[in-house]
Amino acid sequence: MNTMTAKATPDTAAATRESGEIRLVGVTKKFGNAYAVESIDLTIPHGSYCCLLGPSGCGKTTILRMIAGHETPSSGEIYIGDEMVVGKPPVERGTAMMFQSYALFPHLSILDNVAFYLKMRNVGKDERRRKALEMLERVQLDHLKDRMPAQLSGGQQQRVALARSLITNPKVLLLDEPLSALDEFLRLKMRGELKSLQDELGITFVHVTHTQPEAIALADMVVVMDTGRIDQADSANTIFNRPKTPYVARFMGGQNVLTGTVESNAGGAVALKSAAGSTFEIPSSDSAAAVGSKLSIAVRRDQVSIRRGDESSSVGANSIAGVVEATEYQGSYVKVTLQAEGDEFVANVSDRAFFAEPVEAGDAVVATWNPEDVHVLSKVDTGGAAGSYLDGGH
Amino acid sequence: MSSASPSYGSRPWTFYVLALLFTLFVIFLYGPMLAVLVLSFQGPSASLVFPLRDPSLMWFDELFNPRRTGDVVGAFNRSLPLALVVMLLTVLISVTAGFAFRRRFKGATLIFYTAIASLIVPGLVLSIGTIVTFRYLGLSASWNTSGLGAHLSWALPFGLLIMFAVLGRLNPSYEEAAYDLGASKWQTVKEVVVPIVFPGMIAVALFGFTLSYDEFPRSWLTVGSKNTLPLEIWTMTTNVTSPALYALGTVTTIISFLVIAIALSSILFIQRKRSRGK
Repeated sequence: MNTMTAKATPDTAAATRESGEIRLVGVTKKFGNAYAVESIDLTIPHGSYCCLLGPSGCGKTTILRMIAGHETPSSGEIYIGDEMVVGKPPVERGTAMMFQSYALFPHLSILDNVAFYLKMRNVGKDERRRKALEMLERVQLDHLKDRMPAQLSGGQQQRVALARSLITNPKVLLLDEPLSALDEFLRLKMRGELKSLQDELGITFVHVTHTQPEAIALADMVVVMDTGRIDQADSANTIFNRPKTPYVARFMGGQNVLTGTVESNAGGAVALKSAAGSTFEIPSSDSAAAVGSKLSIAVRRDQVSIRRGDESSSVGANSIAGVVEATEYQGSYVKVTLQAEGDEFVANVSDRAFFAEPVEAGDAVVATWNPEDVHVLSKVDTGGAAGSYLDGGH
Repeated sequence: MSSASPSYGSRPWTFYVLALLFTLFVIFLYGPMLAVLVLSFQGPSASLVFPLRDPSLMWFDELFNPRRTGDVVGAFNRSLPLALVVMLLTVLISVTAGFAFRRRFKGATLIFYTAIASLIVPGLVLSIGTIVTFRYLGLSASWNTSGLGAHLSWALPFGLLIMFAVLGRLNPSYEEAAYDLGASKWQTVKEVVVPIVFPGMIAVALFGFTLSYDEFPRSWLTVGSKNTLPLEIWTMTTNVTSPALYALGTVTTIISFLVIAIALSSILFIQRKRSRGK
């Protein structure tokens, strides 16, 4: 079983009723015979910004919907604060959900959309409109209170959806791909606003996204998912720098994954030999891999340097020979894609270093890195078929 | 022409062929209606054909003070309430059935096709079948029993198909959002779903009304001894030989158009309210 708990939280008993801590224990969701989510254990600490990250169909939205109460788990338990919430309606959970399409009611004005929750609780017309107006002021849309949703821009609609969710005074705000419907400019702007809103409110945000930079920029805790399971749940920094599995390394996009056979392992100082004969060294690791077993390592793309060479020339340790497949200028750096030892290998070279000694497609080069920058993955890579498909953003 | 001159997209010959076809279509559609409309103002010289002489309203007067014509007012007083009841039931049943079909359930396809099948059954056959069954059961046929049932068998499938199309486009996240905001199932229907699908419900109502109001084959044997309007008009064509027939045609057409106008303008009103704010 490949389940992980994000942060060891021994003090769950201390979580109060008002806490927005979310705990999933052995949660499974089946649709027919297919597992959308398979025995997940996850604890999202109170007041954290958590991003569920993964490609479409990985089960991240299903998890969100189960926390929200729009989907019932096939088995397992979900706690919010100290309360078991499976089977309870959303309002009793203290959650509020912001839908991907925002789902603003098209027949109601902005003000009445925001006041909807209060209307359902039989709050009088004047009072609920006054409170809704206050909430609209918070998102700076009070001047549009009489407009209909169809008359607003995407960004404005999103703010209305936020206001409509927040008026329920939730402990947990659930956001289903909230930025995917916006253009690039608005996306960055709203991303910043979501983050500062979460800082200000101090409640738990759970945000589903398939975009790595979005998760890294926002989250205190990133949960990387793959076909119904959690691969890694950690801080953004750890996920990006120290991915646990080849899948996470590839999905986050910033890493090259290399695999070799262990030649020697002296107290964590490991030497690997790749199938093509290159040698990789790891000066210190907690790996107990036996000599002769396979091991995968990851090297960050921006910690790789390249120099001209030719394929026949022998290369030293901690380097790999290859042929440039493509170069892509990215402004502050140049992404150089190599074909090396039958696999794709990417070096993000600073623009200064690149233009000092430019290479182009077809050139033979050698890519080198410092052994200190390598880290060992907990699983052996079983092929990078998904690599290029998932390689987004970097 | 050898020198290349710029082409600004002149219309292809097919445009003119299709335009001609469309013109013919419009003439066939509205020509007869216009002929009836014009001839209903025929003067007392009482010719059933063109030209129109001494225009007058006398045949409309004749219509409401029947001396030679049939029981037009009585037929109207049956057709209108019948159409209204069919309209109401069609809306009620189509909307609720539409909701039921949003979720998959066992036998959904079978029930759907069973409901739709009455679109294919010839109306006259259904009419005969209904009256035979009623006789067998010892019930007497009447416009508000067997007639109502026969009309529903015609209007309901249309209503169902429209509702399926309308509800198929309804994003389920509206209902989820309402649930998320604490609305009960009933509140969700009342405050969110019905207002959103209301234009579709008007369309269903419109179909329910006009399909019943105009129905001939399914009325033929099922309405019993007293005729509905289409049956009355048909009877008149065989024994009334005055322009009162045209006057009747004009009045019923106007009523049909009025119903359509009311329905369409209420849909427009709702849509405008939504897109422009208050």
